[in-house]
Amino acid sequence: MVNLDSLFNELDTIAVNPRIALDKYLVSGKKVIGCFPIYTPEELVHAAGMIPMGLWGGQTTPSVAGQYAPIFTCSLLRSCLEFGMLGKYQGISAALMPMLCDTYRGVSGAWRVGVKDIPLIAFIHPQNRKLAASREFLAAEYGAVKTKLEAIAGHAISDAAIKNSIGVYNAHQAAIREFCEVANDHLDVVTPKIRHTVMKSSHFMEKGAHTAIVSQIIDKLKQLPIHQWKGKKVILTGITGEPDDLLDLFAENKIAVVGDDLAQESRQFRTDIPKCGGPLESLAQQWLDRTACSTVHEVNSSRGKLIVDLARKYGAQGIAICLMKFCDVEEYEYPMLVKAAEDAGIPSLSLEIDQSTMNNEQSRTKIQSFAEMI
Amino acid sequence: MTETVAQKPKRPLPKSRVMVAAQTAKVYQDAWDAKARGEKIGWSTAIFPQEICETMGIPVLYPENNAAAISAKHLGDDLIAYAEGQMRYPMNICSYARLNLALAEKIQDPAYNTADPLLPSPDFVLLANNSCTQLMKWYENLSRNLNIPIFFVDCLFNYDEEKPAAYKVTYIRKQIESYIAEMEKFSGKKFDWDKFLEVQKRSQINSKLFDDIIQLNTRVPAPVNGFDFFNYMSCLVLCRGKESTTEIFKQLKLEIEEHIANGTTSFPAKEEYRVHWEGIACWPNLGHNLKTLKNYGVNAVINGYVTAWNIVYEPGNLDSMAYAYATSSTNSLTTETIMNMRSDTIKKFDCDGMLCHVNRSCKMMTFHIFVGRNIVEEKTGVPCSNFDGDQSDSRVYSEAQFETRVQGLVEIMKENKEAKNG
Repeated sequence: MVNLDSLFNELDTIAVNPRIALDKYLVSGKKVIGCFPIYTPEELVHAAGMIPMGLWGGQTTPSVAGQYAPIFTCSLLRSCLEFGMLGKYQGISAALMPMLCDTYRGVSGAWRVGVKDIPLIAFIHPQNRKLAASREFLAAEYGAVKTKLEAIAGHAISDAAIKNSIGVYNAHQAAIREFCEVANDHLDVVTPKIRHTVMKSSHFMEKGAHTAIVSQIIDKLKQLPIHQWKGKKVILTGITGEPDDLLDLFAENKIAVVGDDLAQESRQFRTDIPKCGGPLESLAQQWLDRTACSTVHEVNSSRGKLIVDLARKYGAQGIAICLMKFCDVEEYEYPMLVKAAEDAGIPSLSLEIDQSTMNNEQSRTKIQSFAEMI
Repeated sequence: MTETVAQKPKRPLPKSRVMVAAQTAKVYQDAWDAKARGEKIGWSTAIFPQEICETMGIPVLYPENNAAAISAKHLGDDLIAYAEGQMRYPMNICSYARLNLALAEKIQDPAYNTADPLLPSPDFVLLANNSCTQLMKWYENLSRNLNIPIFFVDCLFNYDEEKPAAYKVTYIRKQIESYIAEMEKFSGKKFDWDKFLEVQKRSQINSKLFDDIIQLNTRVPAPVNGFDFFNYMSCLVLCRGKESTTEIFKQLKLEIEEHIANGTTSFPAKEEYRVHWEGIACWPNLGHNLKTLKNYGVNAVINGYVTAWNIVYEPGNLDSMAYAYATSSTNSLTTETIMNMRSDTIKKFDCDGMLCHVNRSCKMMTFHIFVGRNIVEEKTGVPCSNFDGDQSDSRVYSEAQFETRVQGLVEIMKENKEAKNG
């Protein structure tokens, strides 16, 4: 009988080494489309019968990416470029890239010259989101992406197929949200690393298959007695809270993660795709509905309030700001986040997230001190 | 006893430079006067559709231009330190932003007078993200910190080589239309479409005139020290739609034509080599840049930055204007597009090399250099050399490195010239 550990292990294997999932899909004859973070319209890929696979870089010391990407390139995209140039994404039919920040503007050019075997499908989200013209624009932009995906798939992508995929994605989001709620009743089992693994693995699996596993995990967690967590609790905010070793430092210090505003995790899953005209308009409207994210233009950002509300809702004693190295959109929000936490009387901790080093000693010291403080 | 050191007399500024200084001073004074009268004044990104506020007579100042001026006067370091210290902005974000966000807070104290030129605090900001996404984040912070509204024209990014599709132009045009209606409401002033057409026409006259002036430097040797063009950019940033800019450019053209007629130049040495300067100026280090280039006889006859303000469109046609604002900035186009343009310019201006400023503050321009220098080298056969610097943060620049890189470039250019001349 499948137990929780084996379900977690299954997801962990994929989250730690997405190449395993990629090869499995390729062997089965599926076409795979790389999806750069974040808010890439994976539903269109899914509707085409292809596999959308997240490109989230990984811990590596870049050896070739420096040819095209300056040292102050965001750590995540530098790793992605490195992997692309080294052929680690071989087999992917194309890569979808959203022009969400300056690094993406630059990396789009770097990818084209450095990773010639994986064609780039670039697109851009409208940032002036209060006008009706924004939705019309984005629906047209997604239409252009769809046309390019159809050429790769070798067939048209019907509205019915997109609507079906939207259903699959909304169901998946709901499952992830439920998992996060249920996990907080079992913080002895759902460690920071496991919580992360469950969400991260979703980027490398067909969403229906992932939902099936997450649903089993939720069922099995519900069968366990509610655990009264005696340790500390924190909220994470940022692009990613990686690597696993960093999350283990929280566990070592008896700190549980009870909520997050990470772009790799809950930010992806908190805004459903509404019904809104045709399916492309629905996907466009989801972008317009997104809030509290550094990649989204919001005049009065609600992100500070969101992380404080999360902390209060789940009884977190602290907020850890996971600042991706050289991610300028996040860096511009750093003072706002610290102030929001301060104003709410919640201690905050800044951690540098850097995919180019395996050394977490600075974070270790910071987390140890933070654990004593909160 | 005090030792007297003979100072080298400064060359008098040409009349056009005096006119630029007067125009800039007037723009700042007009904003201060309006503020004193209780009228609303704005701050704007450098490539925003300035024609609208110009038409409505609403004073607007430009933080990028202001940050450059403050940095060139070596007054930026304290502000940058304040942004990184008390305000907690990470040192990796754009130094113009750090400087300006600090200044925006400092000027709330009426006694503050350290920065020069000093801006009055804005009542609104005008944001176009054609130069970069960081502008959007910077202006969000201004809006949040000062509790003032943003008027935003999202200009997208042209990630493919093709021209922007019609639906993209429509999105931008609709934003301009919406912005006009919102500004009417916000300012309480009626928008005069006839005057708007005149401002558009004036903007086109000025853009064309500046382009004509730049082209005069294709002559060998060049009549103008390329760095001089940096001094005239403010005309197009601050006063693209003003007649006073036309007068300045006419005067500048006369001065250059005089140089051509007399066989003279404003470059302060014999022009041995001609290079294309890629990227924004190192404002705090302009003096050292110029001195070093002069010592090696290198005239940076052209650079892409000074030509970024030529917003060319058909007056009366909003779609054409939207298209122009979507495609004018160096950072709104792909590396391939930009570097193909640079290659053409290098050939046209008969450059022997390309000197690239790896600007710590400007990621997109740096990517253009890292990704695109091969394109330039392959298409033109001229060598490229990089050096590290920053547009405002003086900590990044190293005089020794700059000198070494220029020296290295000169050696290759020299070899190439000798080979060419047999």
